[in-house]
Amino acid sequence: MEALDKPRKRRTLLKWLFGGSLAAFFAPAGYAVAKYLSFTAPVNGSATAKLSAADLSPAMPAKLLQINGEPIIVVREPDNAIRAFTATCTHLGCIVSYREVLPGTESKPAAGFYCKCHKGEYDLNGVNIPGTRPPRPLTELTVAQSADDLTISLTPKAKG
Amino acid sequence: MMIETTQSPSHDIVTEPARTSGLSFIKSRYFRNLAESAHLDQPLEALYHKTVPIHKHSFWYYFGGLTLFFFGIQLITGILLLIYYAPTAEGAHKSVEMIITQVPFGWLIRSLHSWSANALVLSMFIHMFSMFLMKSYRTPREIMWLTGVLLLLLMLGFGFTGYLLPWDQTAYFATKIGTEVPKAIPVFGDMTAGLLRGSKEVSGTTLIRLFALHVGVLPLIALLVVLAHVTLTGLLGTTSPVGTPIKRRVYFLPDYVLGEGIVWLIGFGVLLTVAFLYPWQLGKAYDLAKPTEPPAGVHPEWYFMFLFQTLRYVPEMVAIIGFTLVLIFWTAVPWLDRRSKANKKSPLFTIIGIIAILYIATMTTLAYIAVGNEASAEATAAKPAAVAAPNTGGGK
Repeated sequence: MEALDKPRKRRTLLKWLFGGSLAAFFAPAGYAVAKYLSFTAPVNGSATAKLSAADLSPAMPAKLLQINGEPIIVVREPDNAIRAFTATCTHLGCIVSYREVLPGTESKPAAGFYCKCHKGEYDLNGVNIPGTRPPRPLTELTVAQSADDLTISLTPKAKG
Repeated sequence: MMIETTQSPSHDIVTEPARTSGLSFIKSRYFRNLAESAHLDQPLEALYHKTVPIHKHSFWYYFGGLTLFFFGIQLITGILLLIYYAPTAEGAHKSVEMIITQVPFGWLIRSLHSWSANALVLSMFIHMFSMFLMKSYRTPREIMWLTGVLLLLLMLGFGFTGYLLPWDQTAYFATKIGTEVPKAIPVFGDMTAGLLRGSKEVSGTTLIRLFALHVGVLPLIALLVVLAHVTLTGLLGTTSPVGTPIKRRVYFLPDYVLGEGIVWLIGFGVLLTVAFLYPWQLGKAYDLAKPTEPPAGVHPEWYFMFLFQTLRYVPEMVAIIGFTLVLIFWTAVPWLDRRSKANKKSPLFTIIGIIAILYIATMTTLAYIAVGNEASAEATAAKPAAVAAPNTGGGK
């Protein structure tokens, strides 16, 4: 009985060896390909965006800029405060713009950020307006001002 | 004997060889149901019973499969390279540089792609000439030969179009020469060169054109022709050369495939070792805005060297017409070789095959000797100048 079982055991061993060598080949190959695919190309750009305060005129109160490929929006708000926000809509990633009168607020004009793609709206603090699609507020960024020169970095502005 | 060699193996099996190992999954209910629902049960059944004749020269058949294996490697590594490669005169060299210096394992994938391309062409040449010398093209395998010739042209096309893509100086000048030669084609010369270049000189437009051919047009055609070539091999099978007795038959599944698998493993082992130890190099970028003279010893890939060398002896037009005639002859061999068609030994075509091999071997050797001489001549010519420079500086 035992002797009859032997060839079958040998076959099982061979099957495991064969499968094992296939796995030993494909696992590292898969690892290499996964590493190769997960590379993210570095963006060559400065870590800050620079702008002159004079560029934000009443006629053109907002500007779209980019830091390391990430779009940001700098705006001179109605109270004359200069603020910067990430310009990527938190809904599906379109780029928002500044509107002195947000669509739908014509009867009681309110300024804010507007996303054309799905009519997303944010108020002047970058907070998403309930009833529109965006799920989260825009992130406010740090603006350093010396005389007329504005330097905006991707560091979120400390809440206070 | 004569009858056995003329018929395809699926018809002349009287008794099947004993199976040494089973393919249990093919017999499983799920697999059978799936195959039946796709009307694939009969082809699969035929494949299951397919046998391969073994004879004195069986070894050479492995090179067809090996070429197919390298083609698979080219597809996979090619698609991977496509992810980071930028086909513009400004970005091409930079992107290849990024692939080999920054992307993890990028150097290996690029090295595999370049080395495997050469291995593919070598394996294809061995396959073609062994099939020629065994007269494997004889009835009923004429169409197999025809698709094979087509694949030869397609693979050489891949080599030619792929050579420019890294946009280094050697690539630039080799393509400049390669796209200049077609100008000598009677009547259609300028048009052909213009179509290849897309501009008067080799430029960014040329790069995009050759790129489009390399990754779009050629793979699409090649895949179809490879499929036809392999399907025909499956349908018609292999046979033995006239006068060589078939010793025995083995099952295609799994015996022959496992044997082929060993050859693939060896091929892959050699390829991986070479790609690892000798990573494919990238030359200096060519800047279209600053024309320079070519680097020393500019020459095409080794498999174009016999053509390159022929151009040293005869005018371009003669070479083009000559090689076109040779190609037409080569394509028509199954119909021209009447003795093989009638299953008789055909020494004349054996001699033609040997002459072709000798011609390619001799011309390639001469070409490399010439390139080597030119490089050393340039090196000695450059030396005195280098020595003279500090002297003149000291004199002042």
